[in-house]
Amino acid sequence: MKSLSFLAGLAALAVALVPVAAGAQAVVGSPAPAFTATDSHGQTHSLQEYRGKYVVLEWHNQGCPYTKKHYVSGNMQSLQKEWTTKGVVWFTVISSAPGEQGYVTDAEENAYLEQMHAAPTAVLMDPEGKLGHLFSAKTTPEMYVIDPEGKLIYEGAIDDRATPETSDIKGADNYLNDALMESMSGKPVAHAYTRSYGCSVKYAN
Amino acid sequence: MRRFQLIFALVAVFVAAPLACAASNSADVAHLHLQLVFPNQNLNTGTPVNVGLYFKLESGWHVYWKNAGDSGEPPRIQWTLPAGITASALQFPAPTRLPLGPLMDFGYENEVLFPFTVQAAATAKTGSAILHAKVDWLVCREVCIPGKAELDENVNVVSGTPVVNLISLGDQQLLARLANQLPQALPSSDTAIFQSTPTGFRLAVTTGQRETHAEFFPEDEDILDNPAPQTIAPTATGLVLDLKKDANLTAAPAQLKGVLELAGGRNYEIVATPGTVAAPPVAPAFAFGALASTAFFAFLGGLLLNLMPCVFPVLFLKGLALVQSGSEERHKLRAHGVVYTVGILVSFWALVGALLILRAAGATLGWGFQFQSPVFLALMAALLFFLGLSLAGQFEIGLTLTSAGGALAAKQGYAGSFFTGVLAVIVATPCTAPFMGTAIGYALAQPAAATFTIFTALALGLAAPYIALTLQPAWTSVLPKPGAWMDILKQAVSVPIFGTVIWLTWVVVDAYGANLLLALLSIFLLLAIAGWFLGRWPARRWATLVAVLLLLTALVACITAPRELATSPALLRSEGSAPRSGAGAWQPWSNDAVQHALAAGQPVFVDFTASWCLSCQVNERVALSQPEVMQAFGERNVALFKADWTREDPAITQELTALGRSGVPVYALYSEGQNNPRLLPQVLTPGIVLDAINKLPAAVATPTSASPSKQQ
Repeated sequence: MKSLSFLAGLAALAVALVPVAAGAQAVVGSPAPAFTATDSHGQTHSLQEYRGKYVVLEWHNQGCPYTKKHYVSGNMQSLQKEWTTKGVVWFTVISSAPGEQGYVTDAEENAYLEQMHAAPTAVLMDPEGKLGHLFSAKTTPEMYVIDPEGKLIYEGAIDDRATPETSDIKGADNYLNDALMESMSGKPVAHAYTRSYGCSVKYAN
Repeated sequence: MRRFQLIFALVAVFVAAPLACAASNSADVAHLHLQLVFPNQNLNTGTPVNVGLYFKLESGWHVYWKNAGDSGEPPRIQWTLPAGITASALQFPAPTRLPLGPLMDFGYENEVLFPFTVQAAATAKTGSAILHAKVDWLVCREVCIPGKAELDENVNVVSGTPVVNLISLGDQQLLARLANQLPQALPSSDTAIFQSTPTGFRLAVTTGQRETHAEFFPEDEDILDNPAPQTIAPTATGLVLDLKKDANLTAAPAQLKGVLELAGGRNYEIVATPGTVAAPPVAPAFAFGALASTAFFAFLGGLLLNLMPCVFPVLFLKGLALVQSGSEERHKLRAHGVVYTVGILVSFWALVGALLILRAAGATLGWGFQFQSPVFLALMAALLFFLGLSLAGQFEIGLTLTSAGGALAAKQGYAGSFFTGVLAVIVATPCTAPFMGTAIGYALAQPAAATFTIFTALALGLAAPYIALTLQPAWTSVLPKPGAWMDILKQAVSVPIFGTVIWLTWVVVDAYGANLLLALLSIFLLLAIAGWFLGRWPARRWATLVAVLLLLTALVACITAPRELATSPALLRSEGSAPRSGAGAWQPWSNDAVQHALAAGQPVFVDFTASWCLSCQVNERVALSQPEVMQAFGERNVALFKADWTREDPAITQELTALGRSGVPVYALYSEGQNNPRLLPQVLTPGIVLDAINKLPAAVATPTSASPSKQQ
């Protein structure tokens, strides 16, 4: 009897470990790893339900100067509005661990969205960093684009100007726009993987 | 929209706050100080000058290498220069790995200098000119703060014969100290090739010697999985490094470019080309045979340690304990022997464990590192002084401290044996005996399991003579019967103990200044008073209490006094600039000075020493300072350097590591054209040194033979 419960425990452990192992790493050109996450209004979203639509993931930390660059200037908000109007699903993801820079409660995040006039489809709260590790998110901001077939088609920087200066937004080559526009017009994405810039994602240590 | 603008304005002010704007060549901005380093105000037309951009960072903060790793940005500089003046790009010294949770960045902590050159063309207008630099950077700890500053450097453009107008000695010292940390080009005799593997790259680099430590920093972003550990497999002439590629890398690069950091702070620019690299053997990187023979020599070294002057008093104590327990039953003796051995083993393991952990945490330490702490030295001196008082008969430790328990006496005996073992190890470490230098250097470069095996052999060697006596009852029966002579012997043993106290006191005062002498002698006085209370009123609770209070005061003084009263090394050097050996020929060691002398065609002899290292002192007196040796050094025009490791010195530790050693003494004889110095044994005689000097290549020019080479 004892050995049976031991085996059951072992099996449970194995099952618990499988999603981590099978989820592997997000690699551009391959299917994006499946995930389920809760947003700042308590609603759950799974990647599976958005099959057939483009999905953008935006890693976010409101205290990071590089994130501020794109929010203070209004650049990120206008991208959110432009693409969600065209039917793209936009998830802002917060992977800051409690106590680290950028960690916010649901209420704080909702107040911030209102104050900044931000318009993502939803903000996924990821204080344990599960989503961050699944996609190997390194910096804020960092952008991912998943196409309607569920394939990861872009990972990296938001644009080609790795500075915290708002004055550098004008004239920058916006990689997110490029990826979405190229893919929607049936072309391959020219810069599918770039080095993201910004602050490190504040995972728990 | 209005509200938006307001927020924008507010945050713009916040972001701009760290901006420093002053017409100065330095700035203090959030968490760092930065400055342009221009030792020379004159800019001679046609001659490039070496200058630098220097960052001094608050503890815990870092700036980034040219490839910052998973996050971060390198510092950037933008010039506004008068016509005809140009500045080269910043050059980046070798970085360190900066782990951040699951991420890995590359950068610099504490301080860094980015060298570059400035040049005035012949067409540049002469006279005073302002070089204007806009610098921006990202400085991070857990959070990141972008910063920027505008710096102005005033220079004087001169044409004609170059004139040096030194304006800042501090700048010159900064440049001299930090500008040489740029990675070197890989010597043309060495090769670097790489082969793609399913998981990444196998990088093979030859340097002509076995390499046991290496870190590769890729110049290009997004080539490697930065946080992945890099597994090294040493080969006879270099190393093979297994690197994991970035998950998103699709095509193998045409070249693998970056900086390779090797043991001893050697850094090379690597441009590896594709080739075939044999897979390193899967077996652990050390050979079992080498381990066994090193362990054997470590055991011999441990045996010899028993005869070293610093361990001898402890052995004396042990012999005494043996005679005392002569009346006890034999099986108890055996138990004492085992407990003594355990004491030695545990303290060796603790020391090695602490050393490995500290080194893993990034500290550059070598064997004997605890003697570089004045607190440790003060505690040792106080402990031995108190022990000496007891042995001399001022009081009985056993009587007063254990009388409350009565039956505890037997247990106290075992604890005594254990701590005698601990004491033996602590005082033995400075005496890096023959055999042990190589054994310890080898041991510390091995995987932890091998390191512990070697140190266990060393510990068993140290314990062997005593345990042999206790395990073999026939031998102990030769010992004389206990009697009044024991008391006399015990008091006599206090003499070498007090001798050791004098030596430790000299070490402290020599390295940390005379203020600490006052503190140490006061501590001794406190201990003597405590001893008086214990001896005059034995077994009285109040007397014991007074003694304990005095001992605690002494303990606190041992810990706080060095911090409060120690004199800084720079001040000490200026106080007594005469070298310790008395002869004026010895200069303080620096890598630069050695290279300089070698470049000038002089052979170089380096004495790696420390005042707490007794064998070093003996060698210096018996061999190095002998007139015939000094004369031979003079005849061959040998440049003599003394690397004093008494205090912690990372540069010397690195050099020792590069030589494959981990402690002092080390004697290295360099001659021009030879990559590796000749290492002399750790026990010197004048004959050994003279022999080594005579074997120097004959072609070495002496100053007298160099000048008449011009033929008329």
